[in-house]
Amino acid sequence: MAALEIEHVEKILRGGQAVLRDVSCSARDGELLVVVGPSGCGKSTLLRLVAGLESVTRGVIRIGERTVNELPPQQRDVAMVFQNHALYPHMTVYENLAFGLRVRGTPRARLDQRVRLVAAQLGIEAMLKRFPRELSGGQRQRTALGRAMLRNPSVFLLDEPLSSLDAPLRAELRRELAALHRSLGATMVYVTHDQSEALSLGQRMVVLAGGRVQQIDTPAHVFQRPANRFVAGFVGWPPMNFLTADSFDDVARVPAGQGALEYGVRPECFSARPGGGDDLQLTGRIERIESQGSEWDLELTHRLGRVLARLRPERTLEVGEQIRLWVARGHLHAFDLTSGARVELKP
Amino acid sequence: MSLRTRTLRAGTYLGLTGLAGVTLFPLLWVTSIALMRAPEAAAGTPPLWPHHPTLVNVINIISRQHLGRYFFNSIVVATATMALSVLVAGSAGYALARVEFRGRRVVSWLVMLGVLIPNQALVLPLFEMFRTVHLVNHYAALVLPAAANPVGIVLVQAYMRGIPVEILDAARIDGASEWRIYRSIVVPLMAPMLAAVGVLVFVVSWNDFMWPMIAMQQEGMQTLPVALAAIDREHYQDIGLMAAGATMTMLPMVVVFLASQRYYLRSVIAGSLTD
Ligand SMILES: Nc1ncnc2c1ncn2[C@@H]1O[C@H](COP(=O)(O)OP(=O)(O)OP(=O)(O)O)[C@@H](O)[C@H]1O
Ligand SMILES: [Mg+2]
Repeated sequence: MAALEIEHVEKILRGGQAVLRDVSCSARDGELLVVVGPSGCGKSTLLRLVAGLESVTRGVIRIGERTVNELPPQQRDVAMVFQNHALYPHMTVYENLAFGLRVRGTPRARLDQRVRLVAAQLGIEAMLKRFPRELSGGQRQRTALGRAMLRNPSVFLLDEPLSSLDAPLRAELRRELAALHRSLGATMVYVTHDQSEALSLGQRMVVLAGGRVQQIDTPAHVFQRPANRFVAGFVGWPPMNFLTADSFDDVARVPAGQGALEYGVRPECFSARPGGGDDLQLTGRIERIESQGSEWDLELTHRLGRVLARLRPERTLEVGEQIRLWVARGHLHAFDLTSGARVELKP
Repeated sequence: MSLRTRTLRAGTYLGLTGLAGVTLFPLLWVTSIALMRAPEAAAGTPPLWPHHPTLVNVINIISRQHLGRYFFNSIVVATATMALSVLVAGSAGYALARVEFRGRRVVSWLVMLGVLIPNQALVLPLFEMFRTVHLVNHYAALVLPAAANPVGIVLVQAYMRGIPVEILDAARIDGASEWRIYRSIVVPLMAPMLAAVGVLVFVVSWNDFMWPMIAMQQEGMQTLPVALAAIDREHYQDIGLMAAGATMTMLPMVVVFLASQRYYLRSVIAGSLTD
């Protein structure tokens, strides 16, 4: 096990396209670091750089005490689970798992023991003689994971390992993965484009967009204090509403800051009843009602646009009805209108 | 199955059976003529079936025309060509598809260009080359040019491009050296295509006529088709003998095809197997 440090890494493709720009982040020894961002933001590229499958244009990558920039993948002591599994199609599950140890000349008896142990841990003992094409998506996933585990590397790199699975299986494997991380005590970098996965899994998360780091913090902090408008809109579901001061009924009560601001309110932060005295009010007409089980998603049009509110109303609501909603000041996020950076409001 | 698909399927089978018949008929007829006695075979249109099957033509062509010798030459040349070109196509095709090196694009283009050049255009320069190095009338004269087979390289290159890079990357991360990756991952994955290239090269080499005729002028060094042409010129009235020669030339092809069809077919449908 070892810490991973990525410092000012830049990746510019031969065509001149910048895929990663000045990316710095680190995973502490034994930490599960989640990298999250929309499709095409450079997540896979970042992992490939760490693994040594591609070379950085600028910057430094360190694993433990070693600077690995110049080392080939064979010597970096990382394991990677690829977005598309990349199992060896002509080898059985057993051989897929064993390949890394075989290459390193592990004695046969020990190899066999390790392979069977990991297979048992992942619940694929019965699959050892099968070929990848004879496995279900979940079994392939486990095999890919097992291949990485067998190596017992300094750093695990997981590239959207669960993206090809259906929701229940994904949730199950996610829990198993978290448990696995605890039991191995391994340093892991987990890449996903699914913000809810990032929130539920990581000890810390890196939000990446357009090849730049937007924020690095614990899931709770990222959710509560998003560093900019992008993070605010990307993390959390349903996504945050963005409003101007004029959207509210009483503009004068909306806290102001320096320069023009944009305000963010999460759908679940609206309430159908006034709370404290300094709550902000917003009036709108119900356009659409959607049940989420115990809660209701309301789409409202207000003076300047639309908002989505998730409520637990006490009476039945009708489409077309005017409704008044309240937001506690503390639930208001503010962003600079031009730069998008977070602006702290005075309480 | 709906009536529509059933009719379609029946039509397909009918069409394919017809095609197979058209292809096989001359082959079977020649074989049948090879088993006929002289008067029967020499008829204006020989019958479809020998009335008194005999091996006399086969025995004659082997014993009197030294066909065994030419057969041996052809086998040696075709086998060596096949082995060498599978080796070359396998490594060059892989390198051009998946190994980064300077000038890769230029080399790729040159190989592509090689596919377009007709063999006939190469005969003269090749002959000059082999004469300067004193390899005319050696097996090498037939094997070496065919081994650098651009079609094989292009086929392997295209096939290799269809295999996800991540599989090779996974092996790198697993700690395998480039040679180990080539041996344990690349070659097994390419195997169906290598088999297809091998069969293709074997057949082309076996049937090749022009270059072997020019490069192998010494008596006893000719390959089967060249020797057969000489026999035909000499014994053009002996239809049975010629048919026996033709049958003997065909036979190994049939064996090669039947033996390799499993791999051959696999490479044709391989696109649907790699996901
Ligand atoms: N080999 C390449 N050639 C050209 N462009 C590339 C290459 N590899 C990556 N890119 C570009 O780099 C950017 C980042 O790609 P990357 O695969 O890292 O994204 P990602 O965040 O993993 O996306 P996804 O969530 O869809 O997997 C993309 O815009 C992509 O077009
Ligand atoms: Mg990706």
